[in-house]
Amino acid sequence: MFSRIVFLIAGLSCLIATMSHACAHPHVWVTMTSELLYAPDGSLTGVRHAWTFDDMFSAFATQGLEQKTKGQFTREELAPLAKVNVESLQEYAYFTYVKVNGKRQKDALSDPVDYYLEYDPKETVLTLHFTLPFKTPVKAKTLDVEVYDPDFFIDFGFAEKDQVRLVNSPAQCSVSVAKPRDDFFSAAVRLDKSMAWEANAGLGANFANRISVNCR
Amino acid sequence: MRDRKARLFLGIFIVAALAVVALCQEAAAQSSPLAALRQPPASGLVGWLLSKQAVFYRELSGLIRAAKSDGTALWGLMGISFVYGIFHAAGPGHGKAVISSYLVANEETWRRGVTLSFASALLQAITAVLIVGIAAVLIGATAKAMGDTVRVIETVSYALIVLVGARLFWLKGRGFIRTLRSLQSEPAPAAAVHTHDSHPGHAHHDHNACCHHDRAHHDHEPHGQSAPSAADAHGHEHGKRHSHDHVHDHDDEESVLPWRHAHGPEPEELAGPGGWRRGLSAIVAVGLRPCSGAIIVLVFALAQGLFWAGVASTFVMGIGTAITVATIATLAVGAKAVARRFAATRAGYGMLVLRGVEVGAAVLVTAFGVLLLTGTIASERMGMF
Repeated sequence: MFSRIVFLIAGLSCLIATMSHACAHPHVWVTMTSELLYAPDGSLTGVRHAWTFDDMFSAFATQGLEQKTKGQFTREELAPLAKVNVESLQEYAYFTYVKVNGKRQKDALSDPVDYYLEYDPKETVLTLHFTLPFKTPVKAKTLDVEVYDPDFFIDFGFAEKDQVRLVNSPAQCSVSVAKPRDDFFSAAVRLDKSMAWEANAGLGANFANRISVNCR
Repeated sequence: MRDRKARLFLGIFIVAALAVVALCQEAAAQSSPLAALRQPPASGLVGWLLSKQAVFYRELSGLIRAAKSDGTALWGLMGISFVYGIFHAAGPGHGKAVISSYLVANEETWRRGVTLSFASALLQAITAVLIVGIAAVLIGATAKAMGDTVRVIETVSYALIVLVGARLFWLKGRGFIRTLRSLQSEPAPAAAVHTHDSHPGHAHHDHNACCHHDRAHHDHEPHGQSAPSAADAHGHEHGKRHSHDHVHDHDDEESVLPWRHAHGPEPEELAGPGGWRRGLSAIVAVGLRPCSGAIIVLVFALAQGLFWAGVASTFVMGIGTAITVATIATLAVGAKAVARRFAATRAGYGMLVLRGVEVGAAVLVTAFGVLLLTGTIASERMGMF
């Protein structure tokens, strides 16, 4: 009888585990670099992202697109796809979440501008460039920009080099980047997320890539 | 002998399931697969497996590329597809929850659970191949067009899950009310249930379990265990069999029990028309929706000029997926069997609880369908289209 009870418990916990997001799996990998754009008065006006997709997703995304030269796509040929991309991203708030002075800002960003796709024929990968302007430019002591997919279908990760750049930032501002693997970071985020974040924050929140700007 | 084999299989399944779930939770708690990719792997066997888990999917692309010039890479591709399928299905989607709840709501055997899992995984693979085959290979459609197609299929699939759940709820709800009523009028059926329960092998016993325990209301619901899709003809066939069993039991229960309980349902019972069709609606509801990963792999293989390698990979992945889903389905059936044993020791009220569990499972199936349909829970997403 004892073994049967163990069996029952094991079964139920497995069901629960698999019903949750505990084992979500991404189908898209994004390697990104980001730039924070500042106005002359020292306020932050926007975030410029460059997201490079993995080769399988890039092949999928370019399927059926017209191309003049085989194995190459011009910016013009990719323009309709770029439009579809940014329009679809709106639904997911561009996977970009902003915190000003430690406070979560909903709806801080407006729709992307200056967006285009680039194809790297050597690596056979697509890179999506777009800029998210702040609705109202932000002046803050501390500012965090997090990039992640709450549902973890897309796995975001910073590039090895030139992950984040501040453009025209005031001299007193410094930037730091936290990757999900940093032990302190993930523990802090988990605590933070479970307390304060909206209901839609799923597993992906644990894998947030955080850009922190400090302007003393 | 058959029973011992069955137990052995069950044991293997449980171990595999626990391993998969433990690994996944570990992975979710500790790091993203990408982090695992980029960081040096954690120490030990678990760490190695952890880092491998995400690498599998990424390796698919490399192997498909390699297969262009090197035929032996195909073996690697098949191996990785299989392992990836096993791990991959542990994530959301792939019908684990729906199939498990469906099995719990119905009096089903673990063998049937395995059959349903494999059939739905096979159908998922077929849908993926058909979508990419028709849309991309024949028509040259774009990724967006394929994404839109998948969305339509998805909606149909979710609506079907709602229907399957609603039908189950209707059947099981009536069964629950009937048990409740018979309990209030005559608390008799406990004794017979008791006798049965002491017998080993009972848990795997679909038909018999159904008839004995459903004694209180068996005649009102001759195919209470059948899938919503069961054709009427088969329903009748089953009905006859059941009433026959029932009479049998009553006539000389003691002498009949031993041999009857020794054998499980025959394979032809599962594969035959009555068997397949009983679960057909569940198979279609779950299997209609293709796996996004398979579609991406197929399109990538097509872009490499090796579409057929992608097709083979998709089917092998499907087998892996089926193993995971079957494992979880088996556990669900096992849990139900344990619940049934407990129920049996509690006489009539235990039966009521069991019927309640079935109604609950039916509600779960419906709820899953509704939540998926309304987009409250995401099964999978095709990237950003």
